[in-house]
Amino acid sequence: MPIIVSFVLLGIGILALVLRRDLVIKLLALGLINGSSILFLVGIGNRPSARAPIHVPGEVATFVDPLPQALVLSAIVVNFAILALALVFVMILVERYHTTDAVRIEVETSRESEEEETPCL
Amino acid sequence: MISRRGWVIGSVGLVVLFVVLLSFTYMASYPEPGDSARYLAIPLEDSGAANRVAGIYLNTRLFDTLIEILVFSVAVLGVRYYLSHSPQVSLPSLSESAVVRTAAGILGPLALLLSAYFATFGHISPGGGFAAGVIAASAVLYVAIAQGMQATERRLPPQRVATAEKAVLLFLLAWVFLPLAFGRAPLSELLPRGTPGQLLSAGSILPYNILIAVKVFLGAWLVIAAFAQHRGEL
Repeated sequence: MPIIVSFVLLGIGILALVLRRDLVIKLLALGLINGSSILFLVGIGNRPSARAPIHVPGEVATFVDPLPQALVLSAIVVNFAILALALVFVMILVERYHTTDAVRIEVETSRESEEEETPCL
Repeated sequence: MISRRGWVIGSVGLVVLFVVLLSFTYMASYPEPGDSARYLAIPLEDSGAANRVAGIYLNTRLFDTLIEILVFSVAVLGVRYYLSHSPQVSLPSLSESAVVRTAAGILGPLALLLSAYFATFGHISPGGGFAAGVIAASAVLYVAIAQGMQATERRLPPQRVATAEKAVLLFLLAWVFLPLAFGRAPLSELLPRGTPGQLLSAGSILPYNILIAVKVFLGAWLVIAAFAQHRGEL
């Protein structure tokens, strides 16, 4: 079940990342893709009727795979770092072009570079 | 120029490609996850941590965790650097209603207590340094929303916090390279491992958890304060 949910989240994330024009929504989609990959990794470490990998003295139990859980920790922290930095860049773009629309920003930047290339007569 | 239809087909194809690839990964690890047995077969005394996840990321894969902390520090540095060029907005001194302020006064310290518990007991129960740091930063953000950003920034001035954050990072690195002074390889264990399941066990994992919690708390607070100060205007 977590695997299917992670596939659905991945699909929504990639579609939103490619098709939506708003930069903030693109960042949210990136977060969604990250969440789906975390869910997938933790999901494949799961086993039927297994417990969290914490030993209690004198108790024998089946544990889930601890490796993906340790690895997704890096993914979570790096995702936080990327989102914070990317938001700053979006803020800088918004301050300059007054829009979060990726296509409009692209048009503006290409016009600016054309103006720079045209020699003044 | 690619048409919108082309983008739709391309992105759907990308999704299908990823799903097929990940399905193969899942099939390969079904019904038994691949490396599960290998990591669980390491004796508990090897790291001394009853929490196997803490035993992996602060013992077997400590180097990986250190680089991750460096990535976090670089991101905090980047956010502060790039935001320092954008104009500052004057923070409103207004605060929330009395109900929110009273609730924050009660719940904020409780959240900080939970964070301290997660940091100190992270090696024997669910929790750990990263979660503890994020909880502490959320608690301070909650109090900041209730009592106003200005009042909270006076108590935790970003300049000093930035210095403290770098100091914690340096201390963490010094701790990692300390075994060199005793003629041993860096990252090797100096403290006794103790009995797994007790508070004073797992060697360096307890101090690492506390240091990471402080580091993540200070870093996250710096990011929050920078975004509050330079939120920009359209």
